[in-house]
Amino acid sequence: MINLKAVLALTFGCFLSLSAQAVEIRDHHKEVIGKDCKTCHDNGIKQFPSDQACLQCHDVDDLAEQTARSEEDKWQNPHDNLHYGKELPCQECHSEHDTKKPLCSNCHTFKYDKHKE
Amino acid sequence: MSNNNLLGRRNFIKGMGAAAGVAMAAPALAISEKADGVKWDQQVEVLIIGSGFAGLAAAIEATRKGAKDVHIYEKMSYFGGNSAINGGLFAAPDTPMQKTEGVKDSVDTMVADQLAAGRGIADEALLRHVAEHAVEALQMTLDAGSEYHPYLQQLGGHSVARTYQTTVSCGAGITQPLLQECRKLGVHTHNRAKFEGFLVGDKGEVVGVKMRQNYHFGEDQPGEVINIRAKRGVIMATGGFAQNVNLRMAQDPTLTAEVGCTNAPGATGEGMYEMFRLGAIPVHLAHIQSGPWASPDEGGFGYVSNYSIYNFPHSVAIDRLTGKRFMNEIADRKTRADAELNCRDAQGNALPPILITSYKDSKKHPNTKKVIKYNVGWKFDSVEALAKHFDVPLAPLKAQIAEYNEYVKAQNDPQFGKNMTEAKDKYIEAPFTVVRLWPKVHYCQGGVQINTNAEVKDSFTGQAIPGLYAAGEVCGGIHGVSRLGSCSIPECMVMGMTAARSMMKA
Ligand SMILES: Cc1cc2nc3c(=O)[nH]c(=O)nc-3n(C[C@H](O)[C@H](O)[C@H](O)COP(=O)(O)OP(=O)(O)OC[C@H]3O[C@@H](n4cnc5c(N)ncnc54)[C@H](O)[C@@H]3O)c2cc1C
Repeated sequence: MINLKAVLALTFGCFLSLSAQAVEIRDHHKEVIGKDCKTCHDNGIKQFPSDQACLQCHDVDDLAEQTARSEEDKWQNPHDNLHYGKELPCQECHSEHDTKKPLCSNCHTFKYDKHKE
Repeated sequence: MSNNNLLGRRNFIKGMGAAAGVAMAAPALAISEKADGVKWDQQVEVLIIGSGFAGLAAAIEATRKGAKDVHIYEKMSYFGGNSAINGGLFAAPDTPMQKTEGVKDSVDTMVADQLAAGRGIADEALLRHVAEHAVEALQMTLDAGSEYHPYLQQLGGHSVARTYQTTVSCGAGITQPLLQECRKLGVHTHNRAKFEGFLVGDKGEVVGVKMRQNYHFGEDQPGEVINIRAKRGVIMATGGFAQNVNLRMAQDPTLTAEVGCTNAPGATGEGMYEMFRLGAIPVHLAHIQSGPWASPDEGGFGYVSNYSIYNFPHSVAIDRLTGKRFMNEIADRKTRADAELNCRDAQGNALPPILITSYKDSKKHPNTKKVIKYNVGWKFDSVEALAKHFDVPLAPLKAQIAEYNEYVKAQNDPQFGKNMTEAKDKYIEAPFTVVRLWPKVHYCQGGVQINTNAEVKDSFTGQAIPGLYAAGEVCGGIHGVSRLGSCSIPECMVMGMTAARSMMKA
């Protein structure tokens, strides 16, 4: 699911090694993005990435398929859930440089084993 | 939550560099201003703030009444507010399903039930307006594709069964179709857009708003404030303030951070307070309702709430200290929440009471399976096992259940006067399902005063503030002391539709 745009960004992007030093980047992202903060921080380095930033490489339909649950629990799919469908911005549950609880845990005791809290 | 805790926030700002401090302090300082000479960044026709039932219904109705350029602004990253996590219970009188089920009901009966729960301070004109238009609102949801269980429910404080519930047992069964409908109709929806103040014309009329874009709730990021002109006016549909501990404690000091809350994180009330600054009349702010069907074993509304709302009519609620009933299981919310808070051990510590239901009856509700699966409810094959698990004295419990089953048979409850109609033939028998109960802050009856045109009234003139409309939980005084379950959806939707109609007529 790595698309061209991100790869180009890696190749031609301006490398902001200074600000990238302090922050953690997940290994699988490092491989694709390297140190080009702007690949994700499309609103400016000091701003959070836009809600579309992750979708440059990740496809929400694919993600929904990967995290699908059985018919009985089908609405617990974090990428296609009862309350917000496929519209929940990634940053609600995911953080690249930090850990985060999934939004569901506000009200439910569901388990998401692969989610990095 | 850092943005609600003003003291914490100030200290935080103090510790930061001056430049950052200015950016951070801006949201707290932003208030309504004269629009004279402001530079308009954008202009829209209908401007709606908040994306719950009230905002969505307003947007659809405005479009149907001819508006071409309707915009909904939502401060969170996701749409739907409390409405998207709501229980999906929708009360209306004289509905098609009541006709099929042979339930006799009327606008008058529904209003009378609500007035009784309101304990003399509810707004009869508004309740009547909502009851009269509730079926229209129900129809709007059906037209958009909402689906409902094929049965009616009789909720606490209602004299008849008049409550529909979405098949997903959640308000998302309404907000998702309404949001799709909005998009189909060409309504513009903006997330991460936080309303921060009104822009007011010469005559005190609302002509626009200050909107913070690229807003990240609960995070420190300044975003950018723009001025948006609203040609026809502004509809405030920003919901309640149950999540704002400072504000709710200002009204009721017992509602500390230790008391749980069923609301979505965005229910923080700044939209309502901004209307007060403009001159709106505050009504009934101290009447903040706790839900008596919530469980201490999960966060928010979770799964237990709807499970117990469905099961209360044919269940017994038991005080674990005595093994006996302690309330009418279908009394109104305040009566039950107060009774539950009285359930304490010998030292005075909270001892959450239990709700006992026959599995044969509870299993009809889709949540029963989930409640057991996610360990927030339990199934037992005998009274003995149940009593042992919750440390309830066995003999009085057995006696209480036997006694209650006589009431089921006689269709009369001399102990607490419960209406036994819905309990007919539903004896408390093994196997049982059991959940624990403890109230959570749930609904703010208080808010700004509106009239039956959804216009916001000015505290000095008593007249409508021109260009300003409000609908939904941000409004106050409609329900009085206690709101009956399932009466918010019709209110939010009818008043949202009403606001749109008034605006399009103005
Ligand atoms: C868990 C739960 C279950 C419930 N179950 C039922 C039920 O079954 N039946 C029933 O009748 N009632 C129920 N209620 C009550 C009912 O859901 C609410 O009263 C109703 O959803 C309120 O709708 P609303 O449109 O007024 O506000 P909301 O749906 O809360 O929407 C308000 C929106 O405005 C946004 N907002 C707030 N401030 C700003 C700002 N400054 N700028 C931009 N946006 C802002 C919020 O983020 C939110 O999205 C329930 C409530 C809860 C919490």
